[in-house]
Amino acid sequence: DLPTPSNISAWWNFGSLLGLTLLIQILTGFFLMMHFSSSDTLAFSSVSYTSREVWFGWLIRNLHTNGASLFFMFIFLHIGRGLYYTSYLHESTWNIGVIMLLLLMATAFMGYVLPWGQMSFWGATVITNLLSATPYVGSTVVPWIWGGPSVDNATLTRFTALHFLLPFALLASLITHLIFLHERGSFNPLGISPNADKIPFHPYFTMKDALGAALAASSLLILALYLPALLGDPENFTPANSMITPTHIKPEWYFLFAYAILRSIPNKLGGVLAMFSSILVLFLMPALHTAKQQPMSMRPMSQLLFWALTLDFLLLTWIGGQPVNPPYILIGQTASLFYFIIILILMPMAGLLENKMVEPTYVTPK
Amino acid sequence: MGPEFGRLAYVRHIITYSLSPFEQRPFAKYFSVGLPNLWRRFRGQVLRVGPLFMAGYALYLWAIEEEQRLKRKNPADYVNDE
Repeated sequence: DLPTPSNISAWWNFGSLLGLTLLIQILTGFFLMMHFSSSDTLAFSSVSYTSREVWFGWLIRNLHTNGASLFFMFIFLHIGRGLYYTSYLHESTWNIGVIMLLLLMATAFMGYVLPWGQMSFWGATVITNLLSATPYVGSTVVPWIWGGPSVDNATLTRFTALHFLLPFALLASLITHLIFLHERGSFNPLGISPNADKIPFHPYFTMKDALGAALAASSLLILALYLPALLGDPENFTPANSMITPTHIKPEWYFLFAYAILRSIPNKLGGVLAMFSSILVLFLMPALHTAKQQPMSMRPMSQLLFWALTLDFLLLTWIGGQPVNPPYILIGQTASLFYFIIILILMPMAGLLENKMVEPTYVTPK
Repeated sequence: MGPEFGRLAYVRHIITYSLSPFEQRPFAKYFSVGLPNLWRRFRGQVLRVGPLFMAGYALYLWAIEEEQRLKRKNPADYVNDE
């Protein structure tokens, strides 16, 4: 059986919850795909038909849309655990994890386009247009991705195919992620080797993960049954119309932090680079680790910076959903700047300072 | 793959005792020790988390009011109008 540290806390539940959520998304997505038509004239009404006429179609759809939100909530908490307890020191596991985050973001982005509502169409238009900022090839790449001169039927059909395909790439990455993880075994909150105190995964953590799954399933059902449109945008109840632009085009809540960083830079290419950098900076985490103590459990300055980063992330999420008016502009720009300053400068500095604060526990013999 | 039971760590002079689960109270001291421990853990972290989030919430409330104010004309400019 899998030897597991005895002291891993609730923050270690999110890995299994992510796997469970992926399974839910694949199953519900599969059933939705049975009734979905990927033509631009039929997509919106096929989703409406699924919700109204298919047996429990409304529930399958609600589970799928809210399952996506839950997926991102869990992945943000999972990454937060990784930052706080320095799980990124398992470099191969961490790198696959970042790739999985990118795959998830691509899958979710394309999935949102499929219902072909106003926000589906216009969100796809805004975000795919960003690629035109790429020097030299930008203006050629964008129509190539669209399959035409604008977001249209060709875009929808290829996004449908990719949205079906990428979750299986995610599944393959998940298996690789677990293989790399199991080479060394899980980290633990203390950061010291847990080998002297390991317990079998079953029954202790199968039971703990079952409790986590029950709580997650409860939250998913509360959303799907009582508040299905809470996290969505009302614009998406209107079929896509290329002649009418919504007043406030914005992505789903889980992309708002990146949207805020994108909009904080007045230059198009600059904004695109900043937005991608905000995710790709995660690849740099192992190199930015300076502290001798692994986790932040006993490093108060780093803890403060971690919570500042969390607050910054929440502020960026809020700002991303607001119109571009003062004072939101300045707050967004400051928060975007602080996001990078905290990760790239302040946290490594705090690690170095904390190293100096720790008393040596031995004296080198003469 | 990875460390397995039987070759995890070499530890000397450790004697472990355990009780059968059938001879234990499953939630022993859950409230009498658990709640004070919860309070101890909360006190250890609250000053690192609380002030930051309170400041963030204050910023949020101020920004909403400020945006509303900037959308409106200043009433003081029209005090003496007839």
